[in-house]
Amino acid sequence: MFNFKKNPRHRLSLENREGLRLSDLRPGDKGRILEIGGSEQFRLRLIEMGLTRDTEVCVDKYAPLRDPMELIIKGYHLSIRGVDAQKISVELIN
Amino acid sequence: MNFNVALAGNPNCGKTTIFNHLTGARQHVGNWPGVTVERKSGHYSFGDHKFNTVDLPGTYSLTAFSAEETIVRKYLVEDRPEVVVNIVDASNLERNLFLTTQLIELGRPLVIVLNMMDMAEEKGLEIDVDTLATLLGAPVVPVIGRTGEGIDLLKEKILRVVTEQSQKSRPIKISYPRDIEAELEKISMLLEEESDDDHMRRWTSVKLLESDKQTRDEIRKRNQGQGILAQANASVERLELLFKDTGRAIVSHARYGFIQGAIRECVKENLKLSTDYSRQIDRLITNRWLGLPIFGFLMWLMFKITYDLGSIPMDWIDAGVVLLMNTVSNILPQSMFASLLVDGVIGGVGAIAVFLPNIFILFFIIAMLEDSGYMARVAFIMDRIMHNIGLHGKAFIPMIMGFGCNVPAIMGTRILESRRDRILTVLINPFMSCSARLPVYVLVGGAFFPENAATVIFSMYVLGIVVAIVSGKLFSRTILKGMSKPFVLELPPYQRPTLRSLTLHTWERGYLFIQRMGTVILVGSILIWVLGYFPQSVELSRDYDSERDQLVNTYSGKILDLNARYDASIDHARSEYHSKLVEFEASAAFLDLETQYNDLMSKFSFAQENDLLVLRQQEISEITEHRWIGKVGKLFEPIVAPLGFTWRESVALITGFIAKEIVVSTYGVLFGVGENVDEGNDGVISSLRTSGMTPVVALGFMVFTLLYTPCLATVAAIKRETGTWVYTIFSIGYSLSLAYLLAFSIKYFGGMFNWLT
Repeated sequence: MFNFKKNPRHRLSLENREGLRLSDLRPGDKGRILEIGGSEQFRLRLIEMGLTRDTEVCVDKYAPLRDPMELIIKGYHLSIRGVDAQKISVELIN
Repeated sequence: MNFNVALAGNPNCGKTTIFNHLTGARQHVGNWPGVTVERKSGHYSFGDHKFNTVDLPGTYSLTAFSAEETIVRKYLVEDRPEVVVNIVDASNLERNLFLTTQLIELGRPLVIVLNMMDMAEEKGLEIDVDTLATLLGAPVVPVIGRTGEGIDLLKEKILRVVTEQSQKSRPIKISYPRDIEAELEKISMLLEEESDDDHMRRWTSVKLLESDKQTRDEIRKRNQGQGILAQANASVERLELLFKDTGRAIVSHARYGFIQGAIRECVKENLKLSTDYSRQIDRLITNRWLGLPIFGFLMWLMFKITYDLGSIPMDWIDAGVVLLMNTVSNILPQSMFASLLVDGVIGGVGAIAVFLPNIFILFFIIAMLEDSGYMARVAFIMDRIMHNIGLHGKAFIPMIMGFGCNVPAIMGTRILESRRDRILTVLINPFMSCSARLPVYVLVGGAFFPENAATVIFSMYVLGIVVAIVSGKLFSRTILKGMSKPFVLELPPYQRPTLRSLTLHTWERGYLFIQRMGTVILVGSILIWVLGYFPQSVELSRDYDSERDQLVNTYSGKILDLNARYDASIDHARSEYHSKLVEFEASAAFLDLETQYNDLMSKFSFAQENDLLVLRQQEISEITEHRWIGKVGKLFEPIVAPLGFTWRESVALITGFIAKEIVVSTYGVLFGVGENVDEGNDGVISSLRTSGMTPVVALGFMVFTLLYTPCLATVAAIKRETGTWVYTIFSIGYSLSLAYLLAFSIKYFGGMFNWLT
């Protein structure tokens, strides 16, 4: 279907909708984690790393080849892949 | 008394630095049983007691998803160390305390080390150590790992925890939200009939809420097991309904809730705007445009240093081995034992020992990349590419190192955390064309493709990469399917590595190489020696000795003849000078004769020497043909015949198993031009051209050399790193069949379309 991530025009409309994903955020954006989807193992791994509900997460940058992405969370830097970031729904708190 | 101390903590928390400070050089590196996770242990003495210390693998949690987590949990539960030292990165407190909550629940006496206090201060964090100790119910020791500040206090605290009852950690409870506590209580009540250990009951109850498989299996075996499990299931179900999440996620969230509460009470964040230096560095190093070029440059530098700098001591070792071989063969009388010792043992092990400088330098650089924090950035930068083959970004480093030598490259796969990634990288690494294969390409390529040698050689490298990528994709979709872990990678702050830790790291890994490689290589070298040595007496088609005599006789005759002619000429010339000797000896005619004579003499002696050498080499060639090695070559001849190979190629390939560059010297021996051939040797090139080998077959031979079973040292490294013969044998079989298949296709299709003729 539509690849929202690659088309910035869709982004504005997404902010007003539910279903904003971590992968939709751009470098410098801050978000609050609402929910993490995916397999149980994946979810637990992220929770253990501190991506708990209501945690603030800042997208620091993307890797030179656009994937993975670097996040700042609970005061440290963490990197996850775009496909995985897509499973995390967030709200923007800029 | 002896006490057991276990060090636990997150990756990147500085655990190994603390371990090094505690134990110094009194360390031993091994493997945890059944897995290729490094097990580091050591000991130190303090206050008349001996403390056996184990450095547990770094983990973020104890949920037992990974091999490392399983090891830590098993060790803590089953081996019950007297003290668990939990090392915590003070500058990253919240996430680090997650593991701490689990360690508290496990109930072993705990000492908490607040490491990297200096960095926390830089970050503007003020930590109330006493309050933290009260909240966590365990002594807390602030330490600066880089300088060793606080280590003595830590030793003292450990001592007091094991010796003084009053210092034992006060068993606190990680408090959970009310609904969870209620369910924990219900489960705990059922457990009461079996155990009066409060702590143990709580741990078990929490684990049951988390639906922990290990705990459930254990409970199932108990008398009241079914009842307890039924209660656990009901509790989990109730909570899941209430929180709309799984039991484990609920508990993990609750742990973070506890941690956040604790941090609110004892950490003050000063709002001085501190610069995050690490982030500034990263702005450059993982920059969108500069990140890749910088990485490329560093890789090039690493390669350059490893192999260029390494080649200096390599030459020394090489010279040392030759010296040793000569000395031993001079001391010992010629015998089977002497030959075994010189050619088999010293020669074989020496061939591998020359790689030691490479390996040590590479390990040193890798340690530097790891300790500084750059390794995590490598994974970050290269993940996109490596992900295509189903690998982690870090796997790029061993792959690129394979171009130098597969042995250190395969050992370098230790930087990968997941066993599946490690095995996959190990399996495809041998296809990266190592430097030992280059002489073979240069020789064969130069002989058959003199016009396009460079292109042909370069295409070998490309083919190797293509095969590695295709195999990687194939393996990750078949035999290693579904074992991949999600990519969740911490990017720790940059740090200046300490020489002490770099040296320790390098030595540990290098020592493992020496220790484990030694045996396999020794056995292999002896085997090849046996094949080349027996049977001692062989029946030859020609009588080389009499041919040699004949040759010498012929030349003696020629020389006698020459002398006679010279004398006659001199006499004749002198007669014209009427016995004026002085004038004669100064005349042009005399000098002319003299020169002619000398020229012919040296030509004769040179020709004689050459003919003798050729004869000797033909003899060696024929002897080799009759030895077991030749017989084995002949045995394989029908198998390799479809590729257009003869017994010579099969012998060359078999000896190439020790080290691939030996293929060239074997060729030298077999074509009777001596073993000291270099790539540019015209003798081998012309013999190769006249041997009946066609360009198509030659190309097939090069491809076979590229792909077939890596050398003995590589096999040993594969065995060492995968920890099992299964993958080792698989690797040998896979690469052999692939080499065969491709060489055959080249022969078949090349012949069909008349390519390269």
